[in-house]
Amino acid sequence: MINLKDIRDTARDMLTKGEVRAVIGWQQGSRGMAAEPVVITAPEQADSLVWNPTCYHNLSLYLVNDKKAQAHSKQKPTLPIAIIAKGCDARSTVVLMQENYFRRDEVYIIGVSCEGTGVVDEHKLAVALQGAQPTAAAFEGEDYVLTLADGSEKRLSAREVMADRCLECREPFPKENNLVLGEDKTGRSLEAPFAALARFEQKSEAERWDFWKHQFERCIRCFACRSVCPMCFCDECVVDSIEMKVVPATTAQEKADRVRWIERSATTADNFGYHMTRAMHLAGRCIDCGECERVCPVNIPLRLLNNKMEREARERFGYEPGASIGASSLVASFRDDDPNAFIR
Amino acid sequence: MTNKRTGVFVCHCGTNIAATVDVKKVAETMALEGTVAYSADYVYMCSDPGQNAVIQAIKDNQLDSVIVSCCSPNLHEGTFRNNAIRAGINEFTCEIANIREQCSWVHKDRAAATEKAIKIVRSAARRVVRNQSLDSIAIPVTRRALVIGGGIAGIQAALDMANAGLDVVLVEKLATIGGHMLQLSETFPTLDCAQCVLSPKMVEVSRHPKVKLMTYSEVQEVSGSMGNFKVKILKKPTYIDTEACKICDDCSVVCPVVVPNEYDLGLTSRRAIYIPFAQAIPASYVLDENACLGLHPIRCGKCKDVCEVGAINYDMLPQVVTEEFGAIIVATGFDLYPQEKILEYGAGNVPDVLDGLQFERLCSASGATQGHVLRPSDKKEPKEVVFIQCVGSRDPAQHCAYCSKICCMYTAKHAQLYKHHVPDGRAYIFYIDIRSGGKGYEEFVQRTMENDGAVYLRGRVSKLHRTKDGKVRVMGTDTLTGQNVEIDADMVVLALAMQPSKGTEEIAKILKIGRDKDGFLAEAHPKLRPVESVTGGIFLAGAAQGPKDIPETVAQASAAAAKAIILLSQPMLSRSPTIARVRNSHCTGCEMCVDACPYVAIRLENGKAVVNEVLCEGCGACSATCVRAAIEVKNLSLAQVNDMIEAVMTV
Amino acid sequence: MSDEQVYEPKVVAFLCKWCSSAGSDLAGVSRIQYPANATPIQVMCTGGVSPMYVLSALRKGADGVLVSGCHPGDCHYIEGNYLARRKLHLVKELLEFVGIEPNRFRMSWVSAAEGGKFAQVVRDFVEDLRPLGPQDKVKADRS
Repeated sequence: MINLKDIRDTARDMLTKGEVRAVIGWQQGSRGMAAEPVVITAPEQADSLVWNPTCYHNLSLYLVNDKKAQAHSKQKPTLPIAIIAKGCDARSTVVLMQENYFRRDEVYIIGVSCEGTGVVDEHKLAVALQGAQPTAAAFEGEDYVLTLADGSEKRLSAREVMADRCLECREPFPKENNLVLGEDKTGRSLEAPFAALARFEQKSEAERWDFWKHQFERCIRCFACRSVCPMCFCDECVVDSIEMKVVPATTAQEKADRVRWIERSATTADNFGYHMTRAMHLAGRCIDCGECERVCPVNIPLRLLNNKMEREARERFGYEPGASIGASSLVASFRDDDPNAFIR
Repeated sequence: MTNKRTGVFVCHCGTNIAATVDVKKVAETMALEGTVAYSADYVYMCSDPGQNAVIQAIKDNQLDSVIVSCCSPNLHEGTFRNNAIRAGINEFTCEIANIREQCSWVHKDRAAATEKAIKIVRSAARRVVRNQSLDSIAIPVTRRALVIGGGIAGIQAALDMANAGLDVVLVEKLATIGGHMLQLSETFPTLDCAQCVLSPKMVEVSRHPKVKLMTYSEVQEVSGSMGNFKVKILKKPTYIDTEACKICDDCSVVCPVVVPNEYDLGLTSRRAIYIPFAQAIPASYVLDENACLGLHPIRCGKCKDVCEVGAINYDMLPQVVTEEFGAIIVATGFDLYPQEKILEYGAGNVPDVLDGLQFERLCSASGATQGHVLRPSDKKEPKEVVFIQCVGSRDPAQHCAYCSKICCMYTAKHAQLYKHHVPDGRAYIFYIDIRSGGKGYEEFVQRTMENDGAVYLRGRVSKLHRTKDGKVRVMGTDTLTGQNVEIDADMVVLALAMQPSKGTEEIAKILKIGRDKDGFLAEAHPKLRPVESVTGGIFLAGAAQGPKDIPETVAQASAAAAKAIILLSQPMLSRSPTIARVRNSHCTGCEMCVDACPYVAIRLENGKAVVNEVLCEGCGACSATCVRAAIEVKNLSLAQVNDMIEAVMTV
Repeated sequence: MSDEQVYEPKVVAFLCKWCSSAGSDLAGVSRIQYPANATPIQVMCTGGVSPMYVLSALRKGADGVLVSGCHPGDCHYIEGNYLARRKLHLVKELLEFVGIEPNRFRMSWVSAAEGGKFAQVVRDFVEDLRPLGPQDKVKADRS
């Protein structure tokens, strides 16, 4: 069981001693019970940090934002930045370091173990509470304790309302860390990894297409999935054919060579192109934080696509995304015994 | 980009293209493309008038880029790029659209072939719009050559190159150069002795000031590319100081270990410390560490005790040397197809059933029996000998599908040699048919039949076995008479198929050069580039490339040497400039391309990928791996491929 | 295409320069006939075939996409085909996962010596595509 005081003390201590220039964590949000990401820079702000089942955001995104701000201001900080990281946050931080987005010594990882549970799925919770509005949520062993608007408390088994990604979590413990709070309960199995994926794959080819056609038709191309994804740190996305980052170094040739692989219009074909491209580009990089799926306003089950790639990587290529800073990326490496039977 | 002015030139290739593809329609359709300023067809674009027409059209119409739609770029890309230069535009603004090999020759339906040809030409035309003018990259050349394999092919190639003034390293994995040819007794069709022909060449190559011999050595690793290879060569320890060794033979006399002698194919034996044969080059003993009792005075040490000059050194270590070369010739030769695989002929377990090379050793004056043909089992002179051709060859169901080419001739030679040694003996030859193409070859076979009275039986031998009285019963069919034939022979000689040597397989992997379906080294073009591998700067010689006899091997070796000399006579090599380039604005320095590059040609500098233009081969692995479209190959960029796909999908 | 015409699948074939395009050339030299449905785009190496090429071809209306390169161990660029095999395995799995017919995408190893094999690969692919009919699942409407 993680003591919130330990998180706050750690953050305060590090800021006081000047060991880090900021701490990325969660604080109580302004909407209901939900936490929100926060970057604190002063010791006294440490008391605003929270740790509860609504800490679903992948904070490594804010490491990316921090790096972009540095590039923009052309300033190189001398101190590292600290991040409070769940298992998934830590894994995506590893991928970012694998891709040289920042060095290991630029980041101080305060790991928090999800222990027996994980974060809440607000849709599931709303159903379970039958419309009652919670104002706070807390971990309590294998349960969540929710404070409702009328001040009453309600105890729910966490697994009933937990996010799917947490139920299927492969690694709820942040292995890469400078300091870790909470117990390592890796190996717990609430649901088998890739269980939803396996269920989906029972469908026939026609059913699968009907399903995805429905999804691709609904995508409004708001790019929330891309914006929330720590791996989508490129300044210009390959699927964008409108924006073009023009810097003094950009040559006329480069401008001319923009490729319109996919149009921006939200047609089925172009949405297919967008989501397929995203899945391919996240293969071996996505660590299943599930944020894309959580933020999708039209509820496209994006994790299925990314899970599919992740499971292929694990099962066919023995590749575990986010496991090692020094590893070659999935698609830049190969083994002699990679699958060959599909080739004529 | 409507200011582009591309010229499209559609070749009829006589009727090769025009018979199936409506070339006029192709030219007319292409004229409608916005970027095409000139479009024409002509009967033979590669002819002198055709080429001149291209040049004139470029000048007259101020064309800035050219598509020639004709045969494969492998044939005439160079021709037409030269024309581009002559017409005053950059050679890399000229591209070939292949509408012959990949269209007119493989389709009969005129409408479908024409439509496909239009797609092919259109995609080339869309591509060339974005082609950049590029300059070839000049790189210095290492004027040294490596020859791998010290048989007749390797020796010939090494001598030719050395005589042309190149420094040559000849690597041989055995303790002596000479190869299989040294094992032969006489050679067809002249019956001159193999050693008499080869030995002087061996001496010459060993004494040549430009040639460095590295025997008992193996190529371990090759990096770099044409003009600048870096090669790691392992020198295995012989445990003998070659300079000091006086070849007195005292050591081998006292050596207690007796093992079969490879040079005589097991017909004789040797000691653990031995000289492969009397005329070995380098002339020195070798200590076979696998056979030796232990390379240590405690274990044995007899040889070291007896060596007066102190040439034996048990502590000699393997050495790895790294050498640089501009060109490599592979001459790793053949092995015989293993007799163990021929189950119907006893799988090597029937006494007095020999393979062709063993028979050579029996006939050879330096061989096991000092040139007397005596069968191994009882050292008696065989009076009835059966020769069986095509053993393992021309048998796609069980063994090798191909013809080993030389067996008809050497079997005829064997029969002659046998008759010369045993004039009262009888020689039977089972054959499928006789292949005797070559100068004096057919006459040689006729002499075998007429002068030497060899009995040729057309048919296969179904099986053979040893009889109680120590003969080999050969059962076959004479398909000309339809009779079954049974011969109780004193000895049987199998003309086993030639297969690529084990070393060939290994070296192909190390050099990354292709092999054909039978495992022989693949040539760059079966007709026009028969001595080049697909990889630039690596040439092929001898039986490693396919079964061949000595004259052919020597010819190919000299041809390979000539190719290497041509390559290395240039002060600078020009490399294709169609290599990777980085879009700095998009590169995030993730290093995926660095990992994917097979040539270690990309490194990170100030957080951005940088391409080494000497190392980059332009394969595009970086481009396909980059998720940010930040690196691509010049003149085959992502945008160009996108346009090409679009063109192909346009009806 | 008018109604009485037979449906002819449109195939984009990405062929590596050294093996499969050369193999295709050999099919030509040997005059081995095969259907004209596949239009070749020569690339230097299958390792240079970006997943975007495949996706883009389908989006642009290809009924099938073929990627063909050197056999394992024979890549002119040492290991490009191994990189391609891994990437394109993922592409193939992904396409099937969303319900695109598996026969829409194909990969083959065709060496420079395999003219006959190249022709057979195209023949087989076209025959497998015919029963699927035009690919309109992810083909973009042209505006």
